[in-house]
Amino acid sequence: MNIKTRHIWLILLALFAIVLPLILDSPFARHVLIVILLYSILGEAWSILGGYAGLLSFGQAAFFGIGAYTSTFLLINWGVSPWIGMIVGGFLAVLAAICLAYPCSKLQGHYFAIATLAFAEGLRIIFLNWNAVGGARGLDPPILPTSLWYLEFHESKLPYYYLLVLFLAVVMLAMWKLNSSRLGYYLRALRESNNAAESLGVNTKNCKVIATCISAFITAIAGTFYAQYVLYIDPASVMQLKLSIEIVLVTMFGGVGTMFGPLIGASFLTSISEIFRVVLGGAGRGMDLMIYGLLIMLISTLKPDGVWGLVTERLGRRPGKEKAKTSGE
Amino acid sequence: MQSILQVSGLTKKFGGLTANDDITFEVNRGEIVSIIGPNGAGKTTFFNCLTGFQRITSGSVIFEGRRIDQLSAPAIAKLGLVRTFQIVQTFAGMSVAENVIIGALMHTRNVEAARKRAADVLAFTGLSSKKDVLGKNLTIADKKRLEIARALASDPKLLLLDECVAGLNPNEVKEAVELLKRIIGAGITLLIVEHVMEVIMPISSRVVVLDSGKKIAEGRPQEIAADERVIKAYLGDRYDA
Amino acid sequence: MEQLGKLLIQMIISGVMMGFVFSLIAMGLTIIWGVMNIINFAHGEFLMIGMFFSFFFFKYVSIDPLFSLPMVAVLLFIIGFITYHLLIKKVLQGPVLAQLVVTFGLSIFLVNLAVFLWSADYRMIENPIASGKISLAGIAVSIPELVASIGSMIIGAAVYWFIKRTKTGMAIQAISMDKDAAAIMGINTDRLNAVSFAVGVMCVGVAGALLSNFYYVFPEVGSFFGVIAFATVALGGFGSIEGAMIAGVIVGLAEIVGGFLLAPAYKYAIVFAIYLAVVLIKPTGLKGW
Repeated sequence: MNIKTRHIWLILLALFAIVLPLILDSPFARHVLIVILLYSILGEAWSILGGYAGLLSFGQAAFFGIGAYTSTFLLINWGVSPWIGMIVGGFLAVLAAICLAYPCSKLQGHYFAIATLAFAEGLRIIFLNWNAVGGARGLDPPILPTSLWYLEFHESKLPYYYLLVLFLAVVMLAMWKLNSSRLGYYLRALRESNNAAESLGVNTKNCKVIATCISAFITAIAGTFYAQYVLYIDPASVMQLKLSIEIVLVTMFGGVGTMFGPLIGASFLTSISEIFRVVLGGAGRGMDLMIYGLLIMLISTLKPDGVWGLVTERLGRRPGKEKAKTSGE
Repeated sequence: MQSILQVSGLTKKFGGLTANDDITFEVNRGEIVSIIGPNGAGKTTFFNCLTGFQRITSGSVIFEGRRIDQLSAPAIAKLGLVRTFQIVQTFAGMSVAENVIIGALMHTRNVEAARKRAADVLAFTGLSSKKDVLGKNLTIADKKRLEIARALASDPKLLLLDECVAGLNPNEVKEAVELLKRIIGAGITLLIVEHVMEVIMPISSRVVVLDSGKKIAEGRPQEIAADERVIKAYLGDRYDA
Repeated sequence: MEQLGKLLIQMIISGVMMGFVFSLIAMGLTIIWGVMNIINFAHGEFLMIGMFFSFFFFKYVSIDPLFSLPMVAVLLFIIGFITYHLLIKKVLQGPVLAQLVVTFGLSIFLVNLAVFLWSADYRMIENPIASGKISLAGIAVSIPELVASIGSMIIGAAVYWFIKRTKTGMAIQAISMDKDAAAIMGINTDRLNAVSFAVGVMCVGVAGALLSNFYYVFPEVGSFFGVIAFATVALGGFGSIEGAMIAGVIVGLAEIVGGFLLAPAYKYAIVFAIYLAVVLIKPTGLKGW
């Protein structure tokens, strides 16, 4: 019964995701939806570290950048399909994650946050000065005829949208699997108490490294999608600290440690910032970002547990009632 | 009797301070050995050294014929030497059942199997009725009990309990001792660190007394209770005051 | 050979001089960090505000940055005090993440407020009193840099004295070591939090005023200094004032020497690399608790 209702909800959600861009058919609305999906994926990936393992990464942009740069570089220089490029990029990001996570696995809280931040900033500076990858000018993939194989669609944004929906679905499914796996239990345990976890045979270091690798892999793939969608990348857009922090924001506002948190956070924040950008950005002079900053401050002081908290508070009683009913029958 | 743990010449120094000084003793299979001593005697440091949470400065620790003093904490736990903490380390945001599942996952990857094992352990430790309560919402007594349950779920050969009755009221102490007796009944070897010695003495097969990091006495509870040095070092300052 | 020796001395002097400025910035950050356990992502933006104030004093009232320094310090102290009460205080009891992102929001807000009010243009203070170079035994020292480093040293020493020797300062130290104990001992943490935040903001603001003698003034200027300050503080050990002072000099030196050995463009990557290397050996930083 419970599982059945869950299935119905999932089917409804899938239908909604399929129909949504057909209703909101302006290029701008579709662009916003795509950005929402990208941030949701990035937020889910962050969640594996921040939500499960309690490792607050402020350097996700490093992995995103590695993904975006690898596939773009391969496409430009050797005409390699971004599908292969994204896998290569994913593995390079995993390599970077191992280099970062092994030494940093003993760091806690703020120290981990700053170490990841320093790592990403260091990488950004390297890319900024690395001529082979275009330095500060960045790279732009060649404009090829529309094809799935080269992940370029010029007539419509819809293919990007549906690919990202699929990607998000896969990531969420993986999160759901993780939740009920040994690794998922272990990550939550080490977040609560590293010592207690170790006393129960949990190799906390390995767990942290694995979590970082999974997160990096997903983030890098999202990087490739971004590069192919925007068809232009530079250190300022794919490796900036701002991106790393926005990924944190998205998850935080949606509610850390919840499955749909990143999606909700991304919908909320992206819509608002994109709308501000369009409505106020034209007026120029930073008005839109000023309000965005103000909003972040307001939410973190007034509703720090995330917007999702509002929803669960409202629906809080319902699942309980249902449960009582089923057990009564 | 067959020895399960052999500690010889264990020494732990923090800079100039010697927290454990040349401690040597054995634990035999099926025994209940208590380590007692006044505050600051080095009991918790000793536990940390045995379980790999701190590196020993010199000496050796042999568990089931294998030298373990250079192994990491999780590796030692996997061999079957599992500890609890004096200051409880409950997984606060997880339910009681989930806490125990973590322990049960030590020897299986299968979460369902771990869940079953956890249910058995919860029944054994009398926590079944609280299985859905979050760790942080438990009383101190239940947190201590949960810590034991978690360790038990990992199927230890030797269980190290760090002050499992300290801070409990007389009624809770009685329940805790009941649980200890059940654990002994299940054939698990126990090494207990305790400050409240009156409680632990009656169920111990042997007692080791630490003072200022050194082992000052070892023997049956009755012998220890009558030992001059122990009375002077420990009982003395407790009861004469 | 002699040439190389001179160059080396030149670099070391230059590195140490910038290092003192980094030290002052990091000191401000570490005080806030130690006392409130908050990463102030807007730290660099307060530096930017300090620079702009200094610039405006120069441009509109013709007061040289050196003389407007006390006023900038007082203004930044007040801004810090107000920021604490309006913003920081509200998240201190909240989740860690809220504490982490609230100052990020502030940072975006302040940068764009500056863009809104003063535009994104680069500005420069023309011919301040501290300008030019002096040459000693063939080693050229830039006067504005020298002034900035001496100024940073003086202010740094004053803040150090305040923390270590005054009653308020010692109470602040007590809070950063053990908040609960401090509260039990009847220390008014709220008032002291406000003071520490204000002092922290003042430190970085003064550093900004000193930098304005020889650095471009623009809304985005703070982001770079802010990020360097995080690495500096983490390198020194969170909450440790001595650590921040030492780490500042290390960062200054690393930047110059690293820039010389590799391409100058990579110099900040080297700062981060050094930080990561230190963290490997000592996770809590040089002087961390």
